[in-house]
Amino acid sequence: MSLFSLGGGPGSRESGGGGGGVVFDLTPHKIALCQLIHVFAPPAHHLLPFPFQSVSHHNRLGLLLFSLTRSCEDYLEPPLDELLNQLEAINGSTHNWFRDHLITDLSSLTSADDLFNFFDKIQSVLVAPDSVNMDGDQIFLDPSSHLGIFLRCCILAFNSLSFEGICHLLTKIGIYCNAISAYELVEEFNPDRVLLETCMQMQEMQREWTDEEAPMFARYTNDFGPETPTGGSSSSSFHMHSSAFNYHGGNNLRDEHNLDILRSRWQIEGYLNEQADLLEKNSSSVPLNSLNGVLSHIQKLAPNLHRVKYLQYLNALSHDDFASAADSLHRYFDYSAGKDGLFNRMSPQVPQSGIILGRYEAALLCLGTLHSRFGHSKTALDALTEAVCFSQRNNDDACLTYTLAAICNLFFETGTSRHSIGIIGSPHSLGTSTGMGTPCSTQQLLLVLLKRSLKRADSLKLTSLSAHNRLTLAKFDLKHVKRPLVSFGPKASTNLKTCPIDVCRELRLSGRVLTDFGSDNISLLNDSGTFSTSWLKNLAAVNNKNMWSIHRNDYDVFNWYLQPSPIPASVLQLAGSSYLLRSTSWEHYGSAPLVRVNALVYATCFADVASSSELSLAYVKLIQHLAVFKGHSEAFSALKLAEEKPSSTSKFQIRLLRLQLLHDRALHRGHLKLAQKLCDEFGDLASSGNGVDMDLKTEANLRQARTLLASNLFGQAEAVASNLFCSCYKYNMQVENATVLLLLAEIQKKSGNAMLGLPYALASLSFCKAFNLDLLEACATLTIAEIWLALGPGHAKRASYLVHKSLPMILGHGGLELCARANIALAKCYLSDPTFSIFTDPSCVLDPLCQAAEELQILEYHEMAAEAFYLIAMVYNHLGMVDEREQAAVSFKNHLLSLEIANEAADEELSSY
Amino acid sequence: MTSKESCRNELRHAVRQLSERGLYSASKWAAELLVGIEPETPSSRPRTSGVTPLSSTMRHRFRAIAAAESPATSTPPAGVSYVCTPIPADDVDHDDYDSYLLAKSCFDCREYRRASHALRGQTGKKAVFLRCYALYMAGEKRKEEETIELEGPLGKSNSVNAELVTIERELSSLHRNGSIDSFGLYLYGIVLRDKGCGSQALSVLVESVNSYPWNWSAWTELLSLCTTLDTLEGLNLKNHWMKDFFLASAFLELKMYEESLETYKRLLTIFRLSDYIQAQVATVHYNLRELDEAEVIFEELLRTDPYRMESMDTYSNILYAKESFSTLSFLAHRVFLTDKYRPESCCIIANYYSLKGQHEKSVVYFRRALKLNRKYLSAWTLMGHEYVEMKNTPAAIDAYRRAIEINPRDYRAWYGLGQMYEMMGMMFYALYYYSKSAALQPNDARLWNAMAHCYESAPLGRIEEAIRCYKRSADCNDAEGIALHELARLYGELGQADQAAVYYKKDLDRMDAEERQGPNYVEALFFLAKYCKSVGRYEEAEHYATRLLDSTGPVCPCLIISCSILNQIARSSYILMELQISCFHCFNKIS
Repeated sequence: MSLFSLGGGPGSRESGGGGGGVVFDLTPHKIALCQLIHVFAPPAHHLLPFPFQSVSHHNRLGLLLFSLTRSCEDYLEPPLDELLNQLEAINGSTHNWFRDHLITDLSSLTSADDLFNFFDKIQSVLVAPDSVNMDGDQIFLDPSSHLGIFLRCCILAFNSLSFEGICHLLTKIGIYCNAISAYELVEEFNPDRVLLETCMQMQEMQREWTDEEAPMFARYTNDFGPETPTGGSSSSSFHMHSSAFNYHGGNNLRDEHNLDILRSRWQIEGYLNEQADLLEKNSSSVPLNSLNGVLSHIQKLAPNLHRVKYLQYLNALSHDDFASAADSLHRYFDYSAGKDGLFNRMSPQVPQSGIILGRYEAALLCLGTLHSRFGHSKTALDALTEAVCFSQRNNDDACLTYTLAAICNLFFETGTSRHSIGIIGSPHSLGTSTGMGTPCSTQQLLLVLLKRSLKRADSLKLTSLSAHNRLTLAKFDLKHVKRPLVSFGPKASTNLKTCPIDVCRELRLSGRVLTDFGSDNISLLNDSGTFSTSWLKNLAAVNNKNMWSIHRNDYDVFNWYLQPSPIPASVLQLAGSSYLLRSTSWEHYGSAPLVRVNALVYATCFADVASSSELSLAYVKLIQHLAVFKGHSEAFSALKLAEEKPSSTSKFQIRLLRLQLLHDRALHRGHLKLAQKLCDEFGDLASSGNGVDMDLKTEANLRQARTLLASNLFGQAEAVASNLFCSCYKYNMQVENATVLLLLAEIQKKSGNAMLGLPYALASLSFCKAFNLDLLEACATLTIAEIWLALGPGHAKRASYLVHKSLPMILGHGGLELCARANIALAKCYLSDPTFSIFTDPSCVLDPLCQAAEELQILEYHEMAAEAFYLIAMVYNHLGMVDEREQAAVSFKNHLLSLEIANEAADEELSSY
Repeated sequence: MTSKESCRNELRHAVRQLSERGLYSASKWAAELLVGIEPETPSSRPRTSGVTPLSSTMRHRFRAIAAAESPATSTPPAGVSYVCTPIPADDVDHDDYDSYLLAKSCFDCREYRRASHALRGQTGKKAVFLRCYALYMAGEKRKEEETIELEGPLGKSNSVNAELVTIERELSSLHRNGSIDSFGLYLYGIVLRDKGCGSQALSVLVESVNSYPWNWSAWTELLSLCTTLDTLEGLNLKNHWMKDFFLASAFLELKMYEESLETYKRLLTIFRLSDYIQAQVATVHYNLRELDEAEVIFEELLRTDPYRMESMDTYSNILYAKESFSTLSFLAHRVFLTDKYRPESCCIIANYYSLKGQHEKSVVYFRRALKLNRKYLSAWTLMGHEYVEMKNTPAAIDAYRRAIEINPRDYRAWYGLGQMYEMMGMMFYALYYYSKSAALQPNDARLWNAMAHCYESAPLGRIEEAIRCYKRSADCNDAEGIALHELARLYGELGQADQAAVYYKKDLDRMDAEERQGPNYVEALFFLAKYCKSVGRYEEAEHYATRLLDSTGPVCPCLIISCSILNQIARSSYILMELQISCFHCFNKIS
């Protein structure tokens, strides 16, 4: 039991291996800290102790000492020169006194007796002053404060040292002090140092300037510092790189003087947690081998710290190395029995009886997720099923809940179609093992498992998991119609529709994780050194003694506003996902402003913690929104901005988006060859070497069919679309069905068989109704109206009714193209109505047409723009307004011409592309 | 060409030279070998143990083997011609010799630093070697001490021999000058190995053994660096007879038991009485699971050399496997009295306690053995077994894992891990370990059986994979006979009666050959009888049914079954009547 863990999290609950009772190793760095604490709080001293200039100066040192005992930015204790640099940043002008004081005191420790005397002196800091002489201003270090505990731990560690230990400590102190002279030699040649000095000289001159200019300059120097304090993921990853680099490519001098002393256990654990967060956020920012090098170094220094193996597993996992991931995973659980590190946080109960029972169900759970991550669905299900049995047997409810959630994820990934049963094995086996008794479809099974996992998570107060389950449930509700579970007996009449209210409710409830995360044990680990770590990092950035005169207070100097959020990153991620999913759900339900707002909320509030793929998804949504509502040029300029974002975005998604935009533009402009080429490329991406992404494949086929349709190859387009319909039907992708059916209707309409298109459109309409796809429904209604129009002027009334019905939705939420189509359809309805007379109210035809023409010009949709202008010209012709007619006719001609030369232009673009 | 006399001559020189340089274990090994050469006249053999060496049957047996293989004792087998390596003469400089004597005495008293100090500034090859070697030993001693001193809460600290850099600097310059002798090369080799330069160490050690082949320690270091057959074959070694010793033990390490045995038999023609060879041969037998042969050799070995420690842990394993309580206790007592702080003796005592079912005590002694030698592979594995008995699963898993960490090719430890997880009911998880183990030892039927069992068990239920594993097992000469029966049963469950019958028949033949009967026997007969009847092979069916009647299995069901089968076949009315009568009796008895 580590005493030090009083201040730390439950992570240090276990003492490692056989060395129980040892608090931590006493190291030269800790002795230096003890010495500084003695300076900070000299016994029985009044007011400010000697070297301090002000109370804030005194407090700064306290803060530094506090941070140094808690920070997790590295796993090795820092060398003396780093400590001196930090002191320099704190102390400014009194630095030399501190430096000399510290170095003389440390180098005077040459024999065992010196150490004894030293600790006697330290002991006196902790002695409480007599209550008689107690004075209000007297400085007095509370023995139960953080620093007090630290001092007591050091004293305890010293008292329990054997003589051999003291000898070793003396040797280490010798090396620790000697290293400083060696570093100074190096620093003379350090270009960064020279740069910094130049900067300081500049600042000397600057001091004479006026006060107004000072803050601006401060900003400049801030950015100029070795660590740009932007607070984003990029800065921390930069730090990670540099530390890894130091270890590998570090100069020989450093190696020779490298003491390789590990920090205290939970500081290392904090460091490992940080690395794990980095890996999860953006694995490409952490090179496989550099982290592995660091990990094996830690492993060498602390063989009993098993969590290192878990990190090795995570590292291999995020770099897609299955063999070594499996190897590390098994090794981790063999050594730790699931008791070490992450997994004892899940359940608070730790049996204190003699023989320890392992928590091997966690091993099975991890193995299952490992397999599902690599796409071994069947094997993954085997592992997870075993995990279910095992946790049931061992009454491990928390693990059971997590496992159920993992199974749900697996089902989601492999799809819930009838065919996936073959892929992931019989659901019957799972059904019986989870106590379901009656067999049911995978989809139903998924729902039952999800609800069960959610219920358990709620009752066990696993807030994060509960939030995650709610998100999954929302995804399920979004795309699936609930069916009754009982396959016999009287059935309640069910409304075969999805329920947006459910989706909304789940999404709202999942957001509760932001307020409730404290009750979850996992979140406790956030009380680690994150604050101290980032404080020290900021300190490194302001390592400049003249800072104090420029800034008015410590708040600005230490960039308090850049401190990490007190909410754990994992919780923020979950909350962020809820916003992203909101955005997606509104995409389905057809509310453009809400899509945009939610994506914006995500991109602005959660960008710091977001994983690269999710962040890019948010960008993709925003850019797509721009493309639909503001035209291509705006979208492309936004895309350029997104592409310029360094490494925080997933390259794949951005590339995909680029293809989508290019394809849309090519179709609108009529660059058919280019469109075809882009389509082919899209298809390649959809079924890459890593496997087939069904959603992508569907989209690729849709785009293919559209391209064929635009090229007037109706037969081929129809073949592609009906194939697509078959596969969507096969894989139970019902939402996509609606789109495909609508496309089929469109093809029939354009090919002149409008009557044949009607059933398709109607089928699409009913799908849209079942899944509450309002915008798509409006679109389908519009298509039906167009079909009626195509059937002859006798149906104009009916068409007009339908167009009017869909107009509110389309004008409110539809994009430019859809609005234009609706407007043209509206005008056509009026025009083909035999009872309508253009002379009574020409504006009711002209207004929508002009509106449509304007929108289509923005989109550069030449074909439809030509149609609009043609109609305008005709109307003006009827009205006898010649000038306007000519103007419209010229526009019409221009658009037709540009469509004709489109193919030549496409050739050029093809070569440039 | 090599003769007994020349070998003896070489070894005598080697013993002296090795012990002069403080290479005691190599010198001991050479001396042991020296007395292992059969003397021309039996009486001249310098033996102190008082037991007549030629009295045993085993020795006769080996002599017989050796004699049969090479009728002319002095001629080595055809195709082997040994290179004669000249014995290097020692440089004796009388002025320096005095300080050498002081250093040697200090070395013998284990005052290594003093020994090294006494030889400062000397340039004679022997003096340089002893100085460096003493320094190395001093560093090693300090390293061991530090390992204990620096043990922190997060595990052992990696202390290193602080003298390595100094020694390497000196030896590498000597090596460059060419003024280094073979002993210096040996030391240079181990220093390089400690510094982690494996390949460089390998070439230096090869250089050393080529110039001075009698240093067994150098060969052992070489052996520890040859972990694969490719490395072994890549070595450029001179064809000295010492190379055969090296090759034989390398074959043993690489599990090429037949080759190893062959080489040892060849060496026995010269070193007929060598205890070392005997012990190695016994170890080969043990690894081939020929326990009886191994036991006989070890018994004999212990008779001629009662205070021997090497390989005695293997002997105790054999005794453990054969459950010889009293012999094992006797052995344990003897080693305890000889030297209780040897890893081998602790292991033997632990084995004894384990056999007695006192697993806690056994673990205490295994722990002691591991304290004495952290890299004692078999102790980790055996301790794992003890923890299994104590139902302390995590500790057992940890012990097995550490064995794997020491040698990732140890299939027993992988198998042990698999068993642990299987015991806990984590069939799927266990499969990973079994497959690792089977990959290392693909000819072991037990591993395939275990794997098949995991595949077959309830939550997984992957019958096809199980069948494939059982087939592998059956191909590997499954001694326990599980595979055939299971194959037959699984095919029966899958409804593939033809296949099932084939395997039942094979299983039946096997049981007939081993003259065993049991529930499997009855099941096989029953199935075959039914099957033959169903495909219309009545004579065969009748044959099986009659055998079923004769079987000693559970009587009543047998009778009823055979009765019903024979009844349906209805050919032998006499048997039928008899059957019905006995059935009747049976029923009476039951009711």
